[in-house]
Amino acid sequence: MDVHLIVNGERAHVDVEPRRTLADALREDLGLTGTHLGCEHGVCGACTVLVDGAPARACLMFAVQADGAEVTTVEGLQDGDGALHPLQEAFVAHHGLQCGFCTPGMLMTAAHLLDTHPGADRETIRAEMAGNICRCTGYQGIVDAVEAAGNARDTPA
Amino acid sequence: MSGEPTTGSLGRSVRRKEDQRLVTGHGRFVTDLELPRMRHVAFLRSPVAHARITGVDTSEAVGTGVRVFTGADFADVELRAQSALPSYVETGQPVFAHGKVRFAGEPVAAVVAADRYRAEDGCELVEIDYDPLPPTVCAWEPPEEPVHAEAPDNVLLERTFTAGEVDETFAGAAVVVERDLVTNRHSGNPMECRAGVAVWDAADRRLTFWNGTQVPHIVRNMIAELMDLPEGNVRVIAPDVGGGFGVKAVLYPEDVALCLMARAMPGVPLKWTEDRAEHLLAATHARDHRYRMRAAFDGDGTLLGIDADVTCNVGAYSVYPWTAGIEPLMAGGLLSGPYRLAHYRATVRGVATNTAPSGPYRGVARPASVYAMEAMFDSAAARLGLDAVEIRRRNVIMPEDVPYKMPSRLVDDSGHYAECLDKALDLIDYPSVRAEQERRRAAGEAPIGIGVALYNELTGLGRAASAGPRMPFRTGHDACTVRINADGRVTVFSGVTSQGQGLETTVAQIVADGIGVTYDDVDVRIGDTDASLWGFGAFSSRQAVIGGGAAHRTAQAVQAKLLDLAAGLLEASVDDLRVVDGRISVVGEAEPRISVAEVARVAYLESHRLPEGIEPGLEATRFYDPIRGAFAAGAQVAAVEVDRTTGELTILSYVCVEDAGRAMHPQIVDGQIAGSIAQGIGGALYEHLVYDTDGNLSTGTLLDYLMPTSAEIPEMVIGHVSRPAANPLGVRGVGEGGTLGPNAVLAGAVHDALGIEIDTLPVSPSRVWEALHAQEVRA
Ligand code: FES
Ligand code: FES
Repeated sequence: MDVHLIVNGERAHVDVEPRRTLADALREDLGLTGTHLGCEHGVCGACTVLVDGAPARACLMFAVQADGAEVTTVEGLQDGDGALHPLQEAFVAHHGLQCGFCTPGMLMTAAHLLDTHPGADRETIRAEMAGNICRCTGYQGIVDAVEAAGNARDTPA
Repeated sequence: MSGEPTTGSLGRSVRRKEDQRLVTGHGRFVTDLELPRMRHVAFLRSPVAHARITGVDTSEAVGTGVRVFTGADFADVELRAQSALPSYVETGQPVFAHGKVRFAGEPVAAVVAADRYRAEDGCELVEIDYDPLPPTVCAWEPPEEPVHAEAPDNVLLERTFTAGEVDETFAGAAVVVERDLVTNRHSGNPMECRAGVAVWDAADRRLTFWNGTQVPHIVRNMIAELMDLPEGNVRVIAPDVGGGFGVKAVLYPEDVALCLMARAMPGVPLKWTEDRAEHLLAATHARDHRYRMRAAFDGDGTLLGIDADVTCNVGAYSVYPWTAGIEPLMAGGLLSGPYRLAHYRATVRGVATNTAPSGPYRGVARPASVYAMEAMFDSAAARLGLDAVEIRRRNVIMPEDVPYKMPSRLVDDSGHYAECLDKALDLIDYPSVRAEQERRRAAGEAPIGIGVALYNELTGLGRAASAGPRMPFRTGHDACTVRINADGRVTVFSGVTSQGQGLETTVAQIVADGIGVTYDDVDVRIGDTDASLWGFGAFSSRQAVIGGGAAHRTAQAVQAKLLDLAAGLLEASVDDLRVVDGRISVVGEAEPRISVAEVARVAYLESHRLPEGIEPGLEATRFYDPIRGAFAAGAQVAAVEVDRTTGELTILSYVCVEDAGRAMHPQIVDGQIAGSIAQGIGGALYEHLVYDTDGNLSTGTLLDYLMPTSAEIPEMVIGHVSRPAANPLGVRGVGEGGTLGPNAVLAGAVHDALGIEIDTLPVSPSRVWEALHAQEVRA
């Protein structure tokens, strides 16, 4: 089936079986392997992407359901000029990742969190990020990073 | 002659080399690999725990155009984990089960197709007939039908550790504590499941295997042996690996199957990506143990003797290469922990069952054994009316006791436990938590309890210390190659592997400082057996000590050659030269004379300028083996609130203080500790792999197998006692210690809050509620 969508600001087209997940279409058909699969049953959040601005689990969505949608993946977070997104920078600065496998999903969830909860405190961050599992960090560095990115945004230079 | 750099990178939290690619979605994980003509593999797994295979029919699947492999294809290949321990019963693990299946989830066949969807369709068309046999699930119940014919009682290994006069000691003790403790089966569950891509080059008889493994050189060695290939014709590549924690330090039948199937399909790359359901079923499990503990104390709380009987459920197979001994032997060797003990008897055994094989998981047995040991102190303190902290102080190994020979004959070189404990008590503000506990008691508010655990983590085991399991190899050494290129920049080919520990970064720091160049001028290549000479890989918190030591020695050797060459060019004495930040100067002169890049250019491109007797090139390879190990001390203390109505725990504060020796990258060290505590808390409170009596896993998804999230893991306070270890970098391993405390701390906190003994883990709300209820009935 033909699926037309906009991925990271660019038009994309894939021809997929109805059963193909959005995650597989992004990773295998479009070569965007930044979106990871940690469980393929909707629990771990590693596959989180933004579909029309809202977080979605790309393992639970069929590619055909994304027809006409605007999808943002971790590859789309950077500026046009290649500078890191403030969240990416904060994850590096605060050791918000170890193996980096959960990181794309964490970043996408956090990007949405900062948009919807300006000024989120640590408790809010912990509650809102609870749909994404990280096995490496113990979450300390992740919460630090999201908090720091939020603070930086709330205090315009 | 070595230059003491004024601006080294060690000890600073430099920007990790790995992070740029990982935060931008450009990591290189095995499953990201896409090769021409690639085909996808799905494994068909046994739906039953124990059965004879009476029929295999692949015709319908083959009829759809897919390729199918079954047990008959590779019946002559099996993995055999070896140990020279006298009681060890050696058994084999087939590539695909044939004859019989031994656990639900064991691979019985594989289908190769154009994509994973079609491969799974193909699996549904393969018919296997099973004739069920009675399964054994619990390791401490006698089997009706043994898992392996070689071990009729299912015992694959048994050993008794003894020291002193145990029976006499118990006869004369003032207090004897007895408890039977059972720990919950759980597993490492890295966020990236297992994965492999194998491709066979028939013309050159060469195999390339991308594998998400912690141990690429061990994998190469065994794959070459099993496939009867020259070792140099097998290349194993572990690119970015999404967590390991021990689960990926095992060579699995699926790995061997991929390589064998690739050889049967020359030129066709085969890819397998494990999904989480498979991972929970068939990757190694751990920590399914029972400890029958007796401890003898005198009237003032001095520990006199321990008498223990430990049974570990090792699952259906003795995993390669660690054997079924990995957990029981660790439990017996380290049970007494950081405490002085003269009279000790521990019989440990590994028992096969019809469940997934158990293997190494971060902390190996000690999260359970520390819990068993600390439970003795908690119970004895309650009986003697002593404070939980005080009784530990009376028994812990002190600096003046070091080197302390433990009753298992391991030698503790640390002794900094009390110092860690003191600092932890300061950080949690122990007196005020106790005061709050009293206040709540008096006011009838929700009770709080304080849990304490001390532990010793044996890290960086050299050839003498890694002798325990008597495997046919010793894991004491690693190699490193350091090359200064013609442009003066440095490439390191290290034998270490990384699954998130940031080894590219740490090794670069070590080499930069060891030569005298900047951190940015060093690049590190890891995880490719064609590029690095040798490394055993990531396990036993060994790489900072051993791989780091090898990097340090090699950097020094390269610096020596660099300075010899520079001395010739400058007509200066080598002893007067210093190299800092890539510039070489003569002692006493204000300005550097020459850059590392200029010297390197001569070494490769201007042989006419080479001083007499100096060969071209700037490269060295060295090994390092610390011979013994380095104990790392740790203490954890937590305050926990218990809801009497629901049995639920809330962790109010969690403190950990460890002696990591010298911290090369403080952020990475703290990250290792925080991550391992989180895994420990997961194991203590939530994670439980449950089998029903038929041997079916009833926790087969992450909806039933509960991994802790940011909502469950508390803010942690991490402190340090930094006592340099006796190795070139002064480091102690830090990968596992954090996992050792939480079982003991959280069960101990419940005991402290409510006076109930938690003998079965996890400390789930229902368990606490039941114990409370039983207490009320008794009262
Ligand atoms: S892979 Fe989609 S939620 Fe886990
Ligand atoms: S960094 Fe490894 S899972 Fe989060």
